[in-house]
Amino acid sequence: MADQRTVRRTAGIVAGLLIALVFLLVIVPGALAIGLKLLGIIDASYARSALRLTVPIAFAGMGGIFAEKSGVINIGLEGLLIISAFSAIAVMWFIGGGGTGARMIALFGGVLASLVVTLLFAIICIEFKADQIIAGLAVWLIALGFAPFGSIVIWETVNSDSVGSFDSLAMPLLSDVPYVGDVLFTATPPVFLMLAAVPFSWYLLNRTAFGKHLQASGEDPRTLDTAGVSVRKVRYMGVLLSGLYCGIGGAGLALNAGQFAGGGETITSGRGWIGLTTYLIANYNPVGAFLASFGFAGLDALQLQIQGVPGVELSSTLIEIIPYVAVLVVLAFVGKTRMPESAGEHYESEE
Amino acid sequence: MSGQDPGGLLDRLVDATVIERIVISVASLLFAVVVGGVIVTVSGTVATCREPAFVLADREFCYDPIELYRTLFDGAFGSLINLGLTLQETSILLFTGLSVAVAFRAGLFNIGTQGQMVLGALGSALTIGWVAPSLPGNIAGTLVIVPLAVLVATVVGGLYGALPGVMKAYADAHEVITTIMLNFVAMGVAFYLVRNHVGDMTTDSVQTTPIPEFARLSPTIDGTRFSVLVLLFGLLAAALIYLLYERTVVGYDLRTSGLAPEAADYGGVDAKRNIVGSMSLSGALGGIAGAMYVLMVHYRWETDMPALGFDGIAVSILAGNNPLGVIPAALLFGALKGGSLQIDFALGIPPELVEVLRGFIILFVAMPEFFRMIGNYAGYGTEGGETDG
Repeated sequence: MADQRTVRRTAGIVAGLLIALVFLLVIVPGALAIGLKLLGIIDASYARSALRLTVPIAFAGMGGIFAEKSGVINIGLEGLLIISAFSAIAVMWFIGGGGTGARMIALFGGVLASLVVTLLFAIICIEFKADQIIAGLAVWLIALGFAPFGSIVIWETVNSDSVGSFDSLAMPLLSDVPYVGDVLFTATPPVFLMLAAVPFSWYLLNRTAFGKHLQASGEDPRTLDTAGVSVRKVRYMGVLLSGLYCGIGGAGLALNAGQFAGGGETITSGRGWIGLTTYLIANYNPVGAFLASFGFAGLDALQLQIQGVPGVELSSTLIEIIPYVAVLVVLAFVGKTRMPESAGEHYESEE
Repeated sequence: MSGQDPGGLLDRLVDATVIERIVISVASLLFAVVVGGVIVTVSGTVATCREPAFVLADREFCYDPIELYRTLFDGAFGSLINLGLTLQETSILLFTGLSVAVAFRAGLFNIGTQGQMVLGALGSALTIGWVAPSLPGNIAGTLVIVPLAVLVATVVGGLYGALPGVMKAYADAHEVITTIMLNFVAMGVAFYLVRNHVGDMTTDSVQTTPIPEFARLSPTIDGTRFSVLVLLFGLLAAALIYLLYERTVVGYDLRTSGLAPEAADYGGVDAKRNIVGSMSLSGALGGIAGAMYVLMVHYRWETDMPALGFDGIAVSILAGNNPLGVIPAALLFGALKGGSLQIDFALGIPPELVEVLRGFIILFVAMPEFFRMIGNYAGYGTEGGETDG
């Protein structure tokens, strides 16, 4: 039931955005012409690039759900993306060579780095009862400093050498399906992983015993404890899942690009934060978070392509802040995104 | 309701005794220094350098951790010019640190100081740009334009801080999330405005036109841009805020409204209005930091302002959110910034290391339980141990 409400809510938000868009197109002079030109951009290659850009956002968003549902707010998603993006490229650079196999090893390296940092974060939050918000913020700030630091140590500049990127693979049979096959089933491994992770996450969260425990751990840890399930273990799992997801997201982002850029906000450029917005907008539904991620990534891809269209003057900066404004609007005006009851609080077992 | 409060620990941090907090802060600092040293030493085996700093067990180490901290200290205080650079950073960190601390005192976590500072800086730079041409270019002009620029920045920052306050008080939107998002919005909007409408169109960089000579705060130390006026203003602000919270009813109301809204309401205080008040005050201080940056450091608004607002979080947390504690904490982070140039220049160690240190300091301060456990383990158990409940 709650699920249906979420779906309706998400649909409502999407409809609202569309209406706002149409409204804008009609009232702003010249906007309609621009809109039509933009429609021309939307094709299979555009959809593919949007899907690639969805990877880090959706993984961060879905991962964040697991941590927060378990009762640990992981605000360090952006930091984990940065760590895994940097590590994946570093591993790739050290092993050299090319091919999908080497890149999968690099992806694994990125995931491992993210998991190690996440484990430390989990220990700090669960054993040492650190303030989760401050600890998460620290993870971000440390990553933001460490990745360019490491880049300079290895490559002598904040940007890594180019190490080559994932090639698109075509799934046998499925890639021949008209329309969809070309977009969904001819893609890089991180994209496939993401497409698999969406239903998996939803199933894990809503249809398994582990999912029930996870939700109970965030809503009512005492009862879960009384039922004989270790809240500690469940929370560790939840947080580590967020690390796993961010690991794939960050490494996928970097290996899709074939390089780590460490200047400013680094290559992730706030996508972890956007991931955070997506699950708040979708009220902790992984499918909703993915859809919101795809929407924001679509805007991002649009913004990249607009620059090539003559006669269209749209500020890319203003398009970039849409996700942030959207989440503010949702939090302030659209029904309550309800945090798990005990998220952010330590749980002291009575044993 | 309880799920909305991220800070069981916030309460604990506020409740801990002053001595306990100083011990935790100093210990955090030491731990961060050790971790930083380890990171640098290990990185030194990966880096390539002409001459290794030292060789151990046939491995070449490019960086020497002892030398690192010596150089860092030297870079921060070693000469009058270095000292000026350090104090210049410190002066602005006083404001951003106070900004975060003021909100924390009321149990609100304002991560949005950066955005408030960016907009405050833009507000002051633009005001100067508009008003300066109609003012005499002498001391009289300075006396009008500097306070005006600070006032505008205060108002802009205050309003932008009030926004998450309103969202928290009236829509129950978590201020941590809203302030993070508002940072991005502020940076994006400022970038857009300067680039397309109010910026210096004669250059490709996204910046405003430089402010005239008479609107700049004259440097106290030659060869730097440090103005002692800003430092004194910052110290005064710290003292005033300390008095506000310790000695006045207004300060008391601001605190309780954030920490225990029901209790405040019961006591006849409008908790919602006070939450907005705390966030406005916090934002105003962030705005002032932005004005100081324009008046003293950069003489114009430019995109990619330094992360002084995020540093403010570190300053406030290290200070245990005490307005007076902000003073030494700001000096410490000012020194780290001031010294970071030197470690790059003299030792070839990437200055980003300082950001890593900043992160670890925050991390260690955030886990007082860690130190209590170590204390207990070593047999110096603090009485009672548990303070949460």
